[in-house]
Amino acid sequence: MAIFDNELRALKEKVLTLGSMVETAIHDSVQSLVERDNNLAREVVINDHEINAFDVEIDEECIRLIALRQPKARDLRFIITAMKITTDLERMGDLAVNIAERALELNEEPILKPYIDIPRMAEISQVMVKNSLDAFVRGCTKLPNEVIKMDEEVDKLNVQVFNELLFYMIQDPNTVSRATRITYVSKYLERIADHATNIAEMVFYLCKGKIIRHMEIKQEV
Amino acid sequence: MAIFDDELRALKERVLELGSMVETAISDSVRSLIERDNGLANEVIKKDHLINALEVRIDEECIRLIALRQPMARDLRFITTTMKVTTDLERMGDLAVNIAERVLELNEEPQLKPFVNIPKMAETTQSMVRDALDSFVTGCSRLPYEVIKRDDEVDDLTVNNFKELLSFMIRDPKIIPLAVKRTYIAKYLERIADHATNIAEMVIYMCKGKLIRHTTTEDL
Repeated sequence: MAIFDNELRALKEKVLTLGSMVETAIHDSVQSLVERDNNLAREVVINDHEINAFDVEIDEECIRLIALRQPKARDLRFIITAMKITTDLERMGDLAVNIAERALELNEEPILKPYIDIPRMAEISQVMVKNSLDAFVRGCTKLPNEVIKMDEEVDKLNVQVFNELLFYMIQDPNTVSRATRITYVSKYLERIADHATNIAEMVFYLCKGKIIRHMEIKQEV
Repeated sequence: MAIFDDELRALKERVLELGSMVETAISDSVRSLIERDNGLANEVIKKDHLINALEVRIDEECIRLIALRQPMARDLRFITTTMKVTTDLERMGDLAVNIAERVLELNEEPQLKPFVNIPKMAETTQSMVRDALDSFVTGCSRLPYEVIKRDDEVDDLTVNNFKELLSFMIRDPKIIPLAVKRTYIAKYLERIADHATNIAEMVIYMCKGKLIRHTTTEDL
């Protein structure tokens, strides 16, 4: 079914486009924080509706394909995975908006300390998104195992950021408001990495036909 | 297709079962906080794997139904909605675990001050979860719209809670570690409410064949 093949290819491209929009949102939101760039932060907030609209469009396309083409086995699994992946991508976009919102608040006050771990967390998260989507579109040449390992690194950084900021707050209560907001940003990034892990797990499912959510990853992968 | 009807009914029942497990997890986690009950908090954490397992089972059943029965229109939408609803339910379960984990940490130290905002938030959030699930199984009504409106209340309470704790922290830096954990619990509840809102939005979509995610409350 050549038309259907083309439709699947188009679907793949749309998911990739959504992925790159989300990657940009994550990158820009953290940059708006680090460089105290309010305009960039506002841009992330405004551009989010494009991510949302695209998510809805892909969802509709998936339902249309299932209803019209009655796909079997691998194709069906691919389409269902696409529907789930876009949900995670869209929520990552929302989290980038949350980061941008906190950036706008933080930029109103003097800088507390230079951001070191947070840009690192953003970088890792972006790589996680990119690798899991690569695995999704390229088929199963390379399973996204390393994505799941990267998630542990982000979790560790999140704890580190939290402990460090707690120390600031205890030393000087005037920093509480700012420090709490930075811990929120760190939390948002940690959740972004969780969503990327979800995607990696779903791609694994697509490749192996086996659901690995909620398993002890180290043994199973 | 009578077999398929039975299968859909069974699917609905499983979603309800998952929903009630999640509701219990949320209410137990909140109760473990208010009553400083470590045993209950540990129970919430221990039982989470049951929620996870049921979610996976429902997911597999949905894929099986789509592949075998090739459902059309309304049924197809119901099944794809089910797959998304269970994802949100499972994450609510994870958040109840997060609450229970913070409770265990908070219970190691004396209570900071009585809880005011958090029980209110928990009550509203739980009513949202219940009504979102009801609207999913009972078909189309005004109920999902009510759920979406209540989300604003929870958001306001989260902000209030944060501001109140902030003033405490500034007055007495010793309480900062405890107070920060409390703000986390409020955040977890707020996210549970967000997931309930997601479900309500998907129900409206299922009823109308129209996606309302990402529109504003005013448009409703």
